[in-house]
Amino acid sequence: MQAPEAMAEPLIRMAQISKSYGNVQALQDVDFEVREREIVGLLGDNGAGKSTLIKVLSGAVRATSGKIYIRGQQVEIRNTTDAIAHGIETIYQDSALVTQLSIARNLFLGREPIMAPGFLNRMDQAAMATVARDLLRQVGIEKNIPPDTPISALSGGERQAVAIARAMHFDSDLIILDEPTNNLGVAETQGVLRFVRSARDSGHSCIFIAHNIHHVFQVVDRIVVMRRGRVVADAIDPRQTSVEAVEQVITGMAHAPASAPARPG
Amino acid sequence: MPERSLLERLIARPELGPLVLLILEIGVFWAINPDFLSPQNIANTLAFTVELGLIALSMTLLMTSGEFDLSVGSLFGFAPVLMWTLFNAGATSLEIAFVIAVVVAALIGLVNGLFVTRLKIPSFLVTLGMLLVVRGTALFITDGFPQRTWSAEGQWLAETLVGDFQLGPFRLYMSLFWFAAAALILGYILTQTRAGNWIQASGGNPAAALARGVNVTGTKIRLFMLSATMAAFAGIISSIRTSAANPNSGTGYELEVIAMVVIGGTALSGGRGTIIGTVLGVFILRVMRNGIVLIGVPGLAYNIFIGVIILGMMALHSWLERRHHAGT
Repeated sequence: MQAPEAMAEPLIRMAQISKSYGNVQALQDVDFEVREREIVGLLGDNGAGKSTLIKVLSGAVRATSGKIYIRGQQVEIRNTTDAIAHGIETIYQDSALVTQLSIARNLFLGREPIMAPGFLNRMDQAAMATVARDLLRQVGIEKNIPPDTPISALSGGERQAVAIARAMHFDSDLIILDEPTNNLGVAETQGVLRFVRSARDSGHSCIFIAHNIHHVFQVVDRIVVMRRGRVVADAIDPRQTSVEAVEQVITGMAHAPASAPARPG
Repeated sequence: MPERSLLERLIARPELGPLVLLILEIGVFWAINPDFLSPQNIANTLAFTVELGLIALSMTLLMTSGEFDLSVGSLFGFAPVLMWTLFNAGATSLEIAFVIAVVVAALIGLVNGLFVTRLKIPSFLVTLGMLLVVRGTALFITDGFPQRTWSAEGQWLAETLVGDFQLGPFRLYMSLFWFAAAALILGYILTQTRAGNWIQASGGNPAAALARGVNVTGTKIRLFMLSATMAAFAGIISSIRTSAANPNSGTGYELEVIAMVVIGGTALSGGRGTIIGTVLGVFILRVMRNGIVLIGVPGLAYNIFIGVIILGMMALHSWLERRHHAGT
């Protein structure tokens, strides 16, 4: 497996991943990879296995069999803490935030900056507020929201932006966005899409899962389609393919476009 | 959302309700009986207040983390009984007996914490069981009789814990300073430190906290140990001040302490807590107990007033909560 490849090692490579719940085969021998600075759109109908695949990668679910490599090194991802330690950050709807805590406190939860000559690990709240203000602007919140506002007072899009800002600030290599544009207004959606582009520019990779194919088409470099627990196309280029053609691949009306080999490289 | 004005910020604070209530309460009692604000009565009220107050402070942190502890009342009775039994039997010096009692209490808190976090049993059931075990042990080792404590006279430990002194017209106990110090330190921990952030996150959304690498289990176990230690400490202070270590003392304190904490604005469901509110809650209930006796209401009616205050404050907090969210 360690044989040198022509191209550089991908950031993430999942090999032969299978997952079964009793008799139900949720994932079957799935190969999936994300390269450095690449945004991959993961598409598929409900029950196609895309969220199971993502849960395996983010540590929420353990695969029945298969291996995961990060930059060529095989890793064990047993839980979400492992995944974060390996630079994989997953953003779900809003379950990842503590609604009672402020924006700044959520951003730094678990990695609070500590004041140098402090007593009992005093947090540097001034620094937290400054960074939080900065980040909120970066992810496109133009309104002036004080960083000490509790999450419970924010809208769905603003919460999404906070979660995204957190992944961005802590330099995750891979940011997984699970339905990031659900329930968002037009301006907020544009904010999220703009962030995804800027994340790539600053060196992150993303997996972008969305029901709205048009949103996916606007940002991703490559589209992977899953159907019934298998990857059925993994090299669709959104610049050379129409939305209709991809829809047909998702529903199983057509095979992957001719340009798609089973695995590049 | 523009920056809010100072007045709006003040109104949005959960401590405002309890503060208004406390001022009202003091005003009413003082109007009916001016003796209520006599130096002697103030000093008396303070002496009683801090013993329950110490437990309420640590309970605030524990409840913010989403758990609570019903065994504090029985530890309040058990720890002094253990300390004085050891000392009176001549087994140890008073200092060693004190250390042993506090360490045993901390271990009891550790057991509470392990049951709740490792076995995933609700803290209500775990600490209810522990309440019976601890109270039963206190009764068993004393045969139900109080322990002698008057030999505490002149011991430096007793002086440090509850020695009294005159400050102007007020006769104050040292325990007041322990209470003030505990309130300052725990308030600082809750609002300023990383540990405080973790306590709030553990109560607010444990799954999210865990996913961020917060040690939820360790945080809760430490708070159970703190709660048990504070209850023991308060019980020992009380036993020296009243010259009695009664195995039955502290009965029912757990509920009164929880009442103090929730009246102050800490959420029973966790995630939100306030030490300032708890200090106000402690005074609201203690002033009420003292005041209704002073204005001639039979002491037996005390619980009626406490119950009404709890219901009223809960209604106020829920109304404020809904109003706060209406605009978003």
